[in-house]
Amino acid sequence: MLGVGDFYYELGVQIIEVCLALKHRNGGLITLEELHQQVLKGRGKFAQDVSQDDLIRAIKKLKALGTGFSIIPVGGTYLIQSVPAELNMDHTVVLQLAEKSGYVTVSDIKATLKWETERARQVLEHLLKEGLAWLDLQAPGEAHYWLPALFTDLYSQEITADEAREALP
Amino acid sequence: MAMSFEWPWQYRFPPFFTLQPNMDTRQKQLAAWCSLVLSFCRLHKQSSMTVMEAQESPLFNNVKLQRKLPVESIQIVLEELRKKGNLEWLDKNKSSFLIMWRRPEEWGKLIYQWVSRSGQNNSVFTLYELTCGEDTEDEEFHGLDEATLLRALQALQQEHKAEIITVSDGRGVKFF
Repeated sequence: MLGVGDFYYELGVQIIEVCLALKHRNGGLITLEELHQQVLKGRGKFAQDVSQDDLIRAIKKLKALGTGFSIIPVGGTYLIQSVPAELNMDHTVVLQLAEKSGYVTVSDIKATLKWETERARQVLEHLLKEGLAWLDLQAPGEAHYWLPALFTDLYSQEITADEAREALP
Repeated sequence: MAMSFEWPWQYRFPPFFTLQPNMDTRQKQLAAWCSLVLSFCRLHKQSSMTVMEAQESPLFNNVKLQRKLPVESIQIVLEELRKKGNLEWLDKNKSSFLIMWRRPEEWGKLIYQWVSRSGQNNSVFTLYELTCGEDTEDEEFHGLDEATLLRALQALQQEHKAEIITVSDGRGVKFF
């Protein structure tokens, strides 16, 4: 279990702060890479170094405490969910599909997962409803569903002052 | 016009140019648009615009991304800005508008603070002196466009802190 002063306890607190600050951008879903970058930024020069494995360990402990965190494997890495959105296997599998290009379409889902149109649409509607995806009606061909969590440009974005304020209890 | 303006991350995010169906997401989207419009107009010192100009401006039309905010959605963003007090329609047809990155009341407050600070209550100024005079060179409202200035002074007038008057070759204001 965790104890105050424990390395993973402190790391857990940092992870929660980053997730809270970025939640309004990505709906509570963040890649392990971005989380890692932001945590390292917040630690400063003299802090102990932190690896992605350390993050996973800390998140597993947070999970055990019932905080609503979950770890979703996608394309060789992980998505960290910090807001307990209702995600089932169908949703998770579509997230994994979206990881490659940051977006997903009904056609992508039908072609790769061999689902019916309705099943694909329902999942995408759900992701919109949970605030995890945004709709793009100007993409070539059909509607694209983009996940801010996977939008790599975000990686270079600093946490703004407003967002940092969000992170305070 | 290609100054070093820092576009927010949303500007490069394709769905930002589609009005979001999810209401919570839409709220975030509209807030981001309002913020972007105000900082863009502030940097480019643009105090008024027509809707036609807006549609073709890089503000709502990201050529590189091949996305543009449709005119109905632009209208929604403009209406949000109007509700917040940062925008005023200049004609009945809603084809052109005044955009104020600071609300008139806020400008009024700044101007009145300067007047009091410099002990110039009960003095009379021409509009020109206020925004272009040497004395106000260091003030934030220096260079403010006349339309916004007038609205700021009108706000002060409502609070009985100023009175807009006619002077020899135009308008002026007396502060109380």
